[in-house]
Parts: sequence; C-alpha cells; structure tokens
Amino acid sequence: MDNIIVLRYGELYLKGKNRGFFERLLIGNIKSKLEKFKCELICHRGRYEVVGYKKEDEPRIVSALKTVFGLKSLSVAQKVPSDLGVMSDMISKRLPEKGSFKIETHRADKTFPLTSPQVSAAIGEKIIEENSDLNVDLHDPDIIVNVDIREDKSTYIYTKKEECVGGMPVGCAGKGLLMLSGGIDSPVSGYMLAKRGLSLDAIHFHSYPYTSEQAKDKVIELAKIMSDYCGHMNLIIVPFTKIQEAIHEKCNSEFMITIVRRFMMRIAEKVAFFRDCGCIVNGESLGQVASQTLQSITVTNDVVKSMPVFRPLIGMDKQEIIDISLKIGTYETSILPYEDCCTVFMPESPVTKPTIVRAENEERKMGNFEKLIEEALDNLEIIKV
Amino acid sequence: MIYLDNAATTKPSLGTLEMAKRILEKDFYNPSALYYRALEIKKEIDLSRARIAEKLVCKPSEIVFTSGASESNNWAVASGFKNKRGNIVISYGEHPSVYEPVMLLKGKGVDVRVIPLLSDGRIDVGRLEQSVDKNTSFVSVIHASNETGVVNDVNALARLVKQKNPKVVFHSDGVQAFCKIPVCLEDSGIDLYSISAHKIGGLKGAGALYIGSGLNISPLIVGGGQERNLRSGTENVISILSFKTAIDDFDEKAVSELYDYAICRLSAIDDVKVNGNNEYSSRFVISVGVAGVKSEVLQHILSDAGVLVGTGSACSSKAKKNRTLESMGIDKHYIDGNIRISLSPSNTMEEMKTAMDILSDSICELRRKING
Repeated sequence: MDNIIVLRYGELYLKGKNRGFFERLLIGNIKSKLEKFKCELICHRGRYEVVGYKKEDEPRIVSALKTVFGLKSLSVAQKVPSDLGVMSDMISKRLPEKGSFKIETHRADKTFPLTSPQVSAAIGEKIIEENSDLNVDLHDPDIIVNVDIREDKSTYIYTKKEECVGGMPVGCAGKGLLMLSGGIDSPVSGYMLAKRGLSLDAIHFHSYPYTSEQAKDKVIELAKIMSDYCGHMNLIIVPFTKIQEAIHEKCNSEFMITIVRRFMMRIAEKVAFFRDCGCIVNGESLGQVASQTLQSITVTNDVVKSMPVFRPLIGMDKQEIIDISLKIGTYETSILPYEDCCTVFMPESPVTKPTIVRAENEERKMGNFEKLIEEALDNLEIIKV
Repeated sequence: MIYLDNAATTKPSLGTLEMAKRILEKDFYNPSALYYRALEIKKEIDLSRARIAEKLVCKPSEIVFTSGASESNNWAVASGFKNKRGNIVISYGEHPSVYEPVMLLKGKGVDVRVIPLLSDGRIDVGRLEQSVDKNTSFVSVIHASNETGVVNDVNALARLVKQKNPKVVFHSDGVQAFCKIPVCLEDSGIDLYSISAHKIGGLKGAGALYIGSGLNISPLIVGGGQERNLRSGTENVISILSFKTAIDDFDEKAVSELYDYAICRLSAIDDVKVNGNNEYSSRFVISVGVAGVKSEVLQHILSDAGVLVGTGSACSSKAKKNRTLESMGIDKHYIDGNIRISLSPSNTMEEMKTAMDILSDSICELRRKING
C-alpha cells in the first residue's frame, strides 16, 4: 500500500487548445511548492499525484498544496492493487467501529470485471458481513468512501476531498505591480489578482523618519506571507520623504493626500513599466476613506496613462476584506501599529471631492517635480521576497 | 551613540559582565543540584537576595526571584486580590503589567477604582483615601513613574490605606525606584513590592517580588518547588546574580548634575514642557513634551544623529494612548510629541551636553519642515 495525494484542477478544464500552457505553469508552481520535500509529482491528464513522500511530511505537503492557485481540491488516498479483497480490507481499516457508510466507485479501467455499482455493492456487502455494527446508507451516510479504479490496475481509496484555493495558475495572466501599503487591504487585493493568475511585484513608499523602519519591516513580512500564495516577488521600496516634504511645503494642506497619491501612482506606473508589469494593483475600496471616493479615485487615476489600475476590492465591505485577510494570514501583521503612510503631514479634514484641475493647479506650485520623481527612482531599494 | 533610554533597559555594569562570563564558562550548574559546585551557586543566589534585602530594608526571606517585573506585578495582582472578593484600587499611572491584569479582573466583574493623577504627576491622595473602604482588598500605587519619573510617597500611602482598612494588601511597583529612591519596607505597611534587575545595570530575565512576612500568598507558577515553593522553575542564575553586581556598581548620586543640566537646557527651548513636577521626580527620568512634532519622528531623527531616547507615544493613530500623561491633564499636542529621556550613572556630562545640542537642533529642524 502506498500513500498518495491526488490533486485536481478546476477552471483549467475550460481551456481549449492552450490548456497545455496553463498546465505547464500549474505544474511548475506545484513543483516549486514541493521543492523542500522528498517526493515525486506524477501528471496524468486532468489530475496529478504526489507520491513517494514520507508519511510525517504529509500534513505540511497538503498545507503547501492548498495555497497553489489553479488547484481545485485534493485527497489523501491509499493506493492498493485493484483486487476486491484488498480493497475491502483497506476500507474496513479506515472505517470507524460503527455507523453508516457509502461506497462510491469510479472505474476508469473498463477492463475491470465488475461495473462501478457492482464494485460498491460487493465491497459494502463484505464489510457489513465482517462488522454488524456498520450499515450502508446511500442517502445520508456518516462517511463516504471513494474507490477509484485506475487503468494501471491500481485503485485509490480516499474518504475526504479537501478544497484548495482554486483560481488560475500564478503567472498565466502576466505580471502586475501591487501597491503594498502595510494595511489590511493591499495584501488582500494582491491575493485576489494572484488568484486570477497574475504574478506580482510590490511597491512600497517609505517616508523615514516620518514613518518607521518597523513599518518597512512589516511590509517585508506581509510580502513574505503573501508569497505563500502569490509566489516569490520583488518588493520595491521607494524613498518618498523628499516628495512628501515638497508637497507639504508647496501645496494646500487639504489636497495633501490627493497629491501624495497622484505621486505614488506616477512612480508606480514608471516602476511597473521598467519591471515589465502590465498593470497596477491597489487595495482601494469605494468610499472607505477620503482618498477612495469616486472623485478622489478619478483624480489619482488620471495620472496613469499607459496601463490599467486594478482595484479588486472596490465593491467589498471592510469585513469581507478582513475575512480574506484572516484566511491568508496577513491580518495579524497588517494591524501592527506602525503607520504605513505618515500622519504627520495629513490634514485634519482632507478634501473628499477633488477635481483634476484643482489637483493640477496645486502641483504646479511645486515647479518641476519630475526631478523629485527621478531622484526617488534612482534610489529604489529592491528586496527579493 | 549616546544612550538615554535607561528606563527601558540599561547597559550591564562591569561587575555584571565579569560575573556572567564566569557563570557561563565555569559555574553553569543547576542550583537545585546537590553536588558541591551547585550548592556554591545556591549560596551566591542567597547573597544576591541578601543584597536586595539590604537595599529595600527587609529580610532576605521576604525576597522571591521571578522572571522579571512583569511577572512580579502580575503575581502581585493575582495573589494580592485575595479570595476574589472586594474592590481593587489603583492609579492611572500604573505600568501596564499592573494596569492590564487589573483591567482583566474588571472585565470579569470586579469593582475596580482607578485614581487620577494630579498635574504634578503624583496620585491624587484625597481621591485614594475616598476610594479605599472596608471592602477594598488590593491597592497598587507605582513608586516612581516609568513615564514621568515622578515619585509617590508609597510609605505614607501604605500607612494611609492601612489606617482606613488594615486588611488591604498594598502593592507598589518599584521598578523605576529601586536603588534610585530610598525605601524602607520593614514595618512600612507595604505588603508587596516589585523590582527588576535590568533597569539598574543587571540583566534581563530576573525580577523579584518582596512579600512581607505574614502575608500568605499562593504561587503563580508551581512545579519543582524552587524559591521555597513560591516560584518554581530553574533559577535564571546569571540574571539573579546580576542584581547583586548591579547594586554594587550602582551610584545613584551620579546623575543629579546631569538631570539638572538637562532640565535647564530643555526649559530654554520654545514650546517644550517637562511633564510632572521636578520637585517630586526621580533624577533618572525626564518626560519631555515637544509641541508640534510627533514623538516617533523626533525619536528617529535623534537616533540618526546618535542619541537614543524613548517615546511616550508613537506616531500612530493605532498606538495606545498615554494613560499617565492624559490623567495628568497634559495637552494633546505635548503628549503627541512626548519623549522620555532616562539616565544612568554611566552617562557623562559631555554626553548630556551633546545630546541637548542635538535635541535642540532637531526640534527646530523638524518644526521648520512641518510648519514651513
């Protein structure tokens, strides 16, 4: 008897001639997850199997596989020869002392002498003969045992189908630049687009001494947690202090947040371009704060000319975002009390309905701000996560 | 680097370093073992205990070693609040390791009375007297504030409380006062008193709780029966012995001149306020409110310039409020820009002069950037 983990993919089924491309990416991502374990990945059409691993590694392998986008579900199974007696013995060992059960047989090997219902009936009969405390219940059993008779004369037996994260393999949709602030929202937005196949780089704006080194460390930690799902990423730290000081010095204070965000978007677009990213991703959610009103988003979005800005959280409630944040494990880090963006320069009442014209007028007061942007771009810190 | 965050922790004294090297290299034995070398270590632990008792004016048998002052304070609250009946009285100036366990009890329905501070930083004695009644079972008042350095006369407070209700268990957190402010625990009315080694040149990982004779309290940690069954767990030998070496090396008078100089320089800076009344303050902590700046930003700038200070509140809307300063009625602008300068005998006048020059320049520069 061998232990195996059976993997199933979901949406990839819908792909036509280019399915091979998606599968190759998925297989690569799975292999990358399995790198640290001694095991083998066997790929069949429509399903994969992890074999040859140490039993004690199984929980960690399962956990790792559950973070691979593109996988729909997995089952830990026992592989036995396709022999009714052996199958029945194995199933008897897996069943509890008493209660009800149901056998569900799938027969890929059409040369097997019994049909699927016949196999289920035969195994069921043998089991209740040996243990009268067990009974068959086809409608509401305590436990369902899956019997999967394969073409290679082996049979997989499993009782549980564990849900994986689903989605599309990371990388199949190209690469995006995630604006990673350190709060709750941005890691979730990165997760959601990674789920649709986007690989990510992340950009963070650092305003030391107005924000702390701990705030930067927090963002690095968030990127590390996200990489479990999103794969390895480059975290680009932009020195933002001088720009923030210049905005504070020259512009009307109520426009501070609007102008700061326009500069962040300008820099993000340039960084995205140089790093071959096809889009910018941020964690904006409509109306959540002053900078996320429709008018504010219109004004900040205005400076990005060459690529889309994706906002996967735009229609979500805060609690929905927090729920995902908890699920992916970023929440506890996100709520550490280090500000992602300094409050020092922030006005008491920021403008909630800015206009492009007024924002541009404010920016004109700064003179040639391109120099400031260039200086920031010349001093990027890139951290591989 | 000029280190002025000694209320957070101190550089280990020379005697402590030498002792630690000896213990790590040669005398690493478990003091509970029965062979000769282990017994020698046990004797050294008792010498450390005796040295603490000498400083606190109490019996060595009244000192129990713990893992640190947070454990001592938690233990004091847990065991001092006997039989889980009656009310608890504390001040708004308590350290979180007293305040938070008491708030947990409050969450469970216990009657907790929190006494405000006066603007000079001391507890409002009148309110304390009013709040203690025949049902009060536990009172805790910090000796020297970790935020402001302001000293409460805990001997007098304990007497006052006991006059109103002799059954009260009176605790004081003496972490910032130990070796800095004279105290006499013998016949004082103070039943429990917490101290820590690493605030005076000892090592992290050891604290102690004074438990006055006659007070029968239950252990918080049980197991191997160390510390006369009051605190189980293998003794943290180096840290416990560092109490003695640190006390031996500590010269509490060395900072007075530095303190006076710093106060003088600070008072010359516009919109800078020293929180609490100097008359009642320890010479080791100065709480400085700098209007118009965020303390965390000032801390970063000072750190980059080679001066390390503590902050009272962080540059963060998410950070906890400063309970002590708020209770003193300090204006929010000064609380937001609050830094804590804390001294040790190893600081020099030259350091203090340089630090005050840097602080003064940094405040001006930061205000110029923020206010334009």
